[in-house]
Amino acid sequence: MIPSTLKRGSSTRGALSRERDVREAYAAHSGELYGFAVRSLGDAGLAEEAVQETFVRAWRAGERYDPKIGSLRTWLFAILRNVVIDLGRARAVRPGVAEGGIEQSVEPLEEALLSWQVEEAMRRIGEDHRRVIVETYYKGRPYAEVAEELGVPEGTIKSRVYYGLRALRVVLEEMGYED
Amino acid sequence: MKTRNNCRDWRELLGAYALGQLEGDERTGLEAHLDGCAQCREELALLQPVAAMLPHADPERFEAAAPQPPPELGARIGATIAAERQQVEKRRRRVFGGFALGGATAALAAAVLAIFVLGGGSSGEPERHVAFASRGVSIDATLEPHAYGTEIRMYVHGVASGTLCRVSLRGPGGTSYPAGTFRYRWGEDSEAVLSSALDLSRTRAVVVHAGKRTFVAPLGSAPATAHIPTQEEST
Repeated sequence: MIPSTLKRGSSTRGALSRERDVREAYAAHSGELYGFAVRSLGDAGLAEEAVQETFVRAWRAGERYDPKIGSLRTWLFAILRNVVIDLGRARAVRPGVAEGGIEQSVEPLEEALLSWQVEEAMRRIGEDHRRVIVETYYKGRPYAEVAEELGVPEGTIKSRVYYGLRALRVVLEEMGYED
Repeated sequence: MKTRNNCRDWRELLGAYALGQLEGDERTGLEAHLDGCAQCREELALLQPVAAMLPHADPERFEAAAPQPPPELGARIGATIAAERQQVEKRRRRVFGGFALGGATAALAAAVLAIFVLGGGSSGEPERHVAFASRGVSIDATLEPHAYGTEIRMYVHGVASGTLCRVSLRGPGGTSYPAGTFRYRWGEDSEAVLSSALDLSRTRAVVVHAGKRTFVAPLGSAPATAHIPTQEEST
């Protein structure tokens, strides 16, 4: 189940200079961008601000977008990354915020991006595959126990782990991951 | 332990192996198979980096629904962009309207803007110079290519003050493309700037009707500043 938003568009250079193009780009990519913004900023309000700033900057620089260099999605993520850094800086100099009792995001941005990518990929693989990876890997439960609970042979659990990792790889590649 | 006869049976263990979950005979058996099977080694090499990424994810996060942007965010972004675009347009109008003395100047400003926007001299075609003289009248014109057509800058000497001059460019097959009019009311040393929709590359001649006389200055094949002989026609 791969959202069509991940398919690379056949857009042309300067594809974001018109307001209509921005609307289309928003429909296709805002969910993912927002997800990453929430993950890295740890705050829904700031995440909204970051996504808004990303699309405004993309529109201002719309003429410079060249699909020959990379997908629109990659370009938008690159802008969002800068916006998140800028917002993080602004927050760092704003006095008092860090004392608000909320654990501020101390996670470096690259780590946040990696975590978000893996979490997003886990969401996109099939339920059966995700379940066995969660039970055996994240919860560390024995294969026999999981097999019994799910009512399938142990070998099936093992093969699901295998096909689950393969599916993850495919999804991560679609999200731009390279070895 | 189940007997594993083919590659596929072994391969289905690679996931558990990459996650470090395989033990005992199964592990030993798979490692022995890997020693002799390049295909399975390749497959393992694809899974290992994925397995190494798993510790970065938090299952509590991915098992919860993905956060969604509020429904009004799209409209808010659209409104922000529309407002910014209007600001830019207003600023642009102010800059070009600032020195406007009247409708004609405003139109010229618009034309100049159009030249900036559309021209840019990107065609790579050089400008052409035409000079001709006949019966006491001399005309100098520089023709410059633009995306919209051709810009003509022209000096006319020897016509009586107040004479209406109509200029056009002649295209292939004799079709005429108007470039505008001008009339010297005092002096005759100012340059008239005109424009025509005909591309410079297709321009064969510059035609000037000065009062009742018509001058036709053909463009040579080579861009040059050489004097081009004039044909004078009477109307």
